[in-house]
Amino acid sequence: MDKLIHPAADAQLIEGNKSLHQVTEDVFQPLERKASPSWWLAFGFASTALAIGLISVVYQIKVGIGTWGLDRTIGWAFDITNFVFWVGIGHAGTLISAVLLLLRQKWRTSINRSAEAMTIFAVICAGIFPLIHMGRPWLFYWVFPYPNTRGSLWVNWRSPLLWDVFAIGTYFTISLVFWYVGLLPDLATARDRARGIRKKIFGFFSLGWTGSARTWVRYEMACLLLAALATPLVVSVHSVVSTDFATANLPGWHTTVFPPYFVIGAIFSGFAMVLSLMLIARKVMGLQDYITMKHISAMCKVIVFTGTIVGSAYATELFMAWYSGNPFEQFAFNNRVFGPMGWSFGIMVLCNVIVPQLLWFKRIRSSIRSIFLITILVNVGMWFERFVIIVSSLHRDFLPSSWSSYRPTWIELGTLLGSFGLFFTLFLLFCRFLPMIAASEVKSVLPKSTACPEAESKKEAA
Amino acid sequence: MKNIQRDAQVKSSRKADALPENPSDLNPSIARVLDEIEEGKSSSRRSFLRLAGFSFAATAGACSRGKPQTALPLVQTAPEMIPGRAYWVATTSMACGAGCGALVRCRDGRPVKLEGNPGHPVSQGGLCPACQASLLGLYDSKRLQGARGPEGPLSEELLDLQLRDLFQNLRSSGKIRFLTGTVNSPSTLSQIQACLEQCSDGRHVMYDGISRSAILEAHQMTHGVRGLPRYRLDRAEVLVSFGADFLSTWVSPVEFAKQYARARRPEGSRSKLLRHWQFEANLSLSGGNADVRTRIAPWEENAALTYLSDRLAGQERSNPGLPALLIERLDQLLKELSAAKGAALVISDSNEVRQQLLVNQINQHLNGYGRTLDVSRPSLQWQGSDRDLHQLRQELENGGVDLLIVQGCNPVYDLPDWEEALKKAGHIVYLSRHEDETSPLATWLVSESHDLERWDDHQPVEGVYSFSQPLLPGLFAGRSLRHCLASWRGAAAEDVELLKKFWREKIYPTENAGEAFEAWFDRNLQRGVYAAKGIEPAGKKEFQRVELPAPDSETELSEGKLQLVLYSNPAMQDGRHAHNPWLHELPDPVTKVCWDNYLSLAPETASKLRLETGDRVRVEGEIGSFEIPVLVQVGLHPQIAAVALGYGRKGTDRFADIGPEWMQSKPTVAAGGQVGQSVSSWIAWKNQQRRFSAHEVSLVKLGGSHKLACTQDHHRMELPPHLAPKGGEVRDVVRVLPLAEVQGQTEQEHGSKHHVYKDLWPDDHPYEGKRWGMAVDLNACTGCSSCVIACQVENNVPVVGKDEVLRHREMSWIRIDRYFEGEGDQLQSHHQPVMCQHCSKAPCETVCPVLATTHSEEGLNQQVYNRCVGTRYCANNCPYKVRRFNWFDYPREDQLQNLSLNPDVTVRSRGVMEKCTLCVQRIQDAKAEARRNGRPLEDGEIQMACQQSCPSQAIVFGDLNDPESLISKFRNNSRSYDLLEELDIQPGVHYLAKVRKQEDRGDHHRG
Repeated sequence: MDKLIHPAADAQLIEGNKSLHQVTEDVFQPLERKASPSWWLAFGFASTALAIGLISVVYQIKVGIGTWGLDRTIGWAFDITNFVFWVGIGHAGTLISAVLLLLRQKWRTSINRSAEAMTIFAVICAGIFPLIHMGRPWLFYWVFPYPNTRGSLWVNWRSPLLWDVFAIGTYFTISLVFWYVGLLPDLATARDRARGIRKKIFGFFSLGWTGSARTWVRYEMACLLLAALATPLVVSVHSVVSTDFATANLPGWHTTVFPPYFVIGAIFSGFAMVLSLMLIARKVMGLQDYITMKHISAMCKVIVFTGTIVGSAYATELFMAWYSGNPFEQFAFNNRVFGPMGWSFGIMVLCNVIVPQLLWFKRIRSSIRSIFLITILVNVGMWFERFVIIVSSLHRDFLPSSWSSYRPTWIELGTLLGSFGLFFTLFLLFCRFLPMIAASEVKSVLPKSTACPEAESKKEAA
Repeated sequence: MKNIQRDAQVKSSRKADALPENPSDLNPSIARVLDEIEEGKSSSRRSFLRLAGFSFAATAGACSRGKPQTALPLVQTAPEMIPGRAYWVATTSMACGAGCGALVRCRDGRPVKLEGNPGHPVSQGGLCPACQASLLGLYDSKRLQGARGPEGPLSEELLDLQLRDLFQNLRSSGKIRFLTGTVNSPSTLSQIQACLEQCSDGRHVMYDGISRSAILEAHQMTHGVRGLPRYRLDRAEVLVSFGADFLSTWVSPVEFAKQYARARRPEGSRSKLLRHWQFEANLSLSGGNADVRTRIAPWEENAALTYLSDRLAGQERSNPGLPALLIERLDQLLKELSAAKGAALVISDSNEVRQQLLVNQINQHLNGYGRTLDVSRPSLQWQGSDRDLHQLRQELENGGVDLLIVQGCNPVYDLPDWEEALKKAGHIVYLSRHEDETSPLATWLVSESHDLERWDDHQPVEGVYSFSQPLLPGLFAGRSLRHCLASWRGAAAEDVELLKKFWREKIYPTENAGEAFEAWFDRNLQRGVYAAKGIEPAGKKEFQRVELPAPDSETELSEGKLQLVLYSNPAMQDGRHAHNPWLHELPDPVTKVCWDNYLSLAPETASKLRLETGDRVRVEGEIGSFEIPVLVQVGLHPQIAAVALGYGRKGTDRFADIGPEWMQSKPTVAAGGQVGQSVSSWIAWKNQQRRFSAHEVSLVKLGGSHKLACTQDHHRMELPPHLAPKGGEVRDVVRVLPLAEVQGQTEQEHGSKHHVYKDLWPDDHPYEGKRWGMAVDLNACTGCSSCVIACQVENNVPVVGKDEVLRHREMSWIRIDRYFEGEGDQLQSHHQPVMCQHCSKAPCETVCPVLATTHSEEGLNQQVYNRCVGTRYCANNCPYKVRRFNWFDYPREDQLQNLSLNPDVTVRSRGVMEKCTLCVQRIQDAKAEARRNGRPLEDGEIQMACQQSCPSQAIVFGDLNDPESLISKFRNNSRSYDLLEELDIQPGVHYLAKVRKQEDRGDHHRG
């Protein structure tokens, strides 16, 4: 991973020979000027999608889960597909900010803020689905182990769904704290540049940041500690999510390869999502100098690497099904590939295994358009991966009498659209109201930056 | 009336000691009673007493028709009637026409469940789906209310006044005709007789929607008795059925299913099991169960029967032009028949007299009369006469009928071309429960009472009487024909008095009962049945050879045409249950389609015509055309197209809004439309008999499609060939063992062959007390679907409508999986009831995050509705897919219909999971009862709803920890296996493999 960007190239991580002040200007100006028409356009689309999603969810909660295309055989489909998809998206943020921080990958500084923000928004999107997929979502709090007056009613510690509650809860908390702590120096900068009510708000959230050496030392220590805490989560969250399937006895779910397979898939899809967003954001927000082709190229390499592992995971699954000699397992995979839902398997392999391989070619890796297309396809493919695992395994299980088929309803499609709407609405608001590049960290990797960061900061603050 | 009420209390308190308080006491004695009945011991009297439910007299007080002052308010209730505790009344269910004995469970003065009466000598326990579902008909808010005359609604008094006048005017000069379905109530018949005697020109015509008339005609000719013989399948070693679906719709299916199952039980005392040959064009439930099933075109039946008859008579015959396979099978059959003389039975559902005469000849050659069929005490279940019906039509057309009294049938629907003729009748009085096809023609329309709200007597078999008692005051001022006739002919009396009067005058004197009439009558009423001792069989009826009429059915089919075959299914039958949503949603036992009828075509025919399931076609024939969706069905004769009768009934548009309504829901019936399509106009008349397969038709494919709601998408245990792994081509779901293997075994060799897997985990379910378990004998199960309705009624399972079934969201807790094996003439169907398997290591239990599904100390897998948040993880992890999720709040707005709900079972709300509870309410009830009486639970005391209803006694429930219990014996039987045993989840429900002769299974047998 060290060699994704050659150390010698560090000097040119940020282009355009920026001065420290210029970095501050570039990063904070979007917050201070009026929103551009393109931002409004994007926000209009996103919030419309969110509204459609909101209507769909309200309708579904009012009328019943029957408004989804599920049946007696297929108890989960879009709901848990979306859940796993969004949890996966969330993974890149933690990986970039925590793991790459610990590995001292300096190129991450331009993208870690928005990747972390993305993590939080993705986990919010993910968290909605376990909630609304319940038949009686108003009783969601019953999944928490809290002392209650209903006798000695407790939760079932053997249920992976309960593990999910804790895994997702922990992940969300740590991600949020990590992101917020990381934001502090920039919030202080924003505070110092703002006037009136904005100054008060930024002032409140910057927790009295002074920029003193002591503050910086504690800040960096806190960041390192949080990174260390968050790192195991990169592995644990999706491993736990995968146990929803791996511990079940359904052929196609009951697989020990799932935890690593899910984690790598999550990183894969997360990086693809970060990259798609970055490609849009650098264009829309004019940050081409900060998010350079070098960043993009590095992320492409991560994608092709993880994509290859994902491909080998698919092959492992198929091999194990054949090698197991278990006829139920063998049928499940034959059916997955050649059965009535085989088209979704086809989409999955095409998007996740074949398409990312194009990134081996430098020409493709340097074309923004083709990278953007590939990242979108990877996200489509990763959504279908979860759909394939869930629906194609469920729809034809043990007793042929109960086999069934699946078609989503408008409400489900609306809910899926709504989750994207929520994600992009939050992301656009983030771009508008918070510094989407960690200015304080970028300054530390500026070629001219020989002074220590706190000195710079102090200068700024003064 | 006051007197009766007081009498009631006195009597019932006197009887209280003798009577068990709860029917669950009765259950252990059921087997004993059955044995006694079989052995003909007279000591069954006492047992009968135990079986009967509740004192007749108490009910008499509580349930007199219609007058509130005679209803017994709960505050002054009879001592047995404890709020919240059930009592049982023996009655008779006439919903399917066979007249099976029923026990009705009542709670707080209202019937909530019908079950089979094991003490009934004909049905011997078990009840068909239609009879069980008839409960809903009682609480039908769309029933007729009161009477209607030419000028509008009439009070009962005014109606009686008008009709009394009319009757007075007409009886000396007018032509009075009765047109009814089969009436086998002796007291009603005597009222009709009394009416006819007062008339100068009166006649009673009976007909059945699905006619059995030719059998009766044929016996009139050969034996001089116009009656259906009583068939004894249990005495046969070889049973040959030409098209008769005796397990589902033909004559007396509950009785036959019981006999059939007993005669095929490998563990029984029989040396030779019953072998069943079926020759049919359509695929029937019986055909699927047959050992050898051969397809035969309707026009080949005459030749085949003639061939059999001639060969049995010792004549040499060459092939009369029948297909090679058919003749080969007939020859094989002949060998078996000759070896089984005196123990063979041939039946046919043809309504051609010639064919029935041939059947009689064959049975005579086989020495069947007096052994496998009995004409000395014939069945009176179906008495309709097509000949009389035909004659009535002539009379109507000539305009000579002044008064036509119609009851128990729906002539405009059954006989659509009669409408004009009926309009020529001077006056029509019509007793009906609904506004239907016939009601607009009625001058007077009278609301008829439901079976459960009136007094009645029945005589299903000569000399066997059974009773009906009102279980609640009439809901809609319904009346019985008997009561109406008595009033109209000027002899008005309370209905119960009419009944008693008949019995006092006609039956009691012949019986030498040795006790007072009241006591004698009450005792019989209480049992629900009475086997007459006084009536001698009308002498031995000898077979007389008669000249066969010329065959009148066509001998060949025109090129490119198909023969239209009309059949009936056990749910709708002749259309009489069209208002019953339970029956509409009951999947057809063969096709598994509900909420529709359809044109069934053989796969080869369909592919030749480029048709697929769901395509709409126009069926064109000589008399017109109709449009209907196609269903491709294996096992059909390639030259026929089969459609079920009984659909397209007026008033079924009421189901338009059944089931949940939401954005993408579709109505079960299009606005103003009907459920299915009526095809009764395609019943043809030939030789004064109705024919159900007489029209040649051709099909024209129409645009568009009509989705058929089928509860099963994949119909075979074989996996799709392109997906099947090597060595795992067939799922081991229904096991079939070779007969030789099972029969040759000694007792020592018997014993469980269950595989015991080693376990990593400590056994945390020790089951120290009881361990409830269930066993389903797949060899006995015929797939009749009684259990499905029984469970629906018992457990308040909602009806969800066609759209939800199409979305695979039917709610039934027990389903019958039906798998086909083989094709064409090798086709067999397997039926497997599947309910929650109550696994010891239940996959559903570990995955619920809130512990809403848990394991009881007695082995029940419990679903806690209150705690369920509805993640559906349990359902995903259930390998049997028996869990049912409440996708919506299913509408329960009909307050009257809600009276049919079982108060012991929660009505589940939206968003929670549910599934079979092993009727936990019954277990708890029986336990409480045993505790109250200070005694341990007896084996067999607890009966599941599905088990009780099963005519073939395929389901057994009990304590697996008790080595002496019946369930333990079933469990240890060598045929016992667990479904999906390899998952080692240790289900508490076990299956007993089917047993078939190796050679019958042909090439599709898998080793």
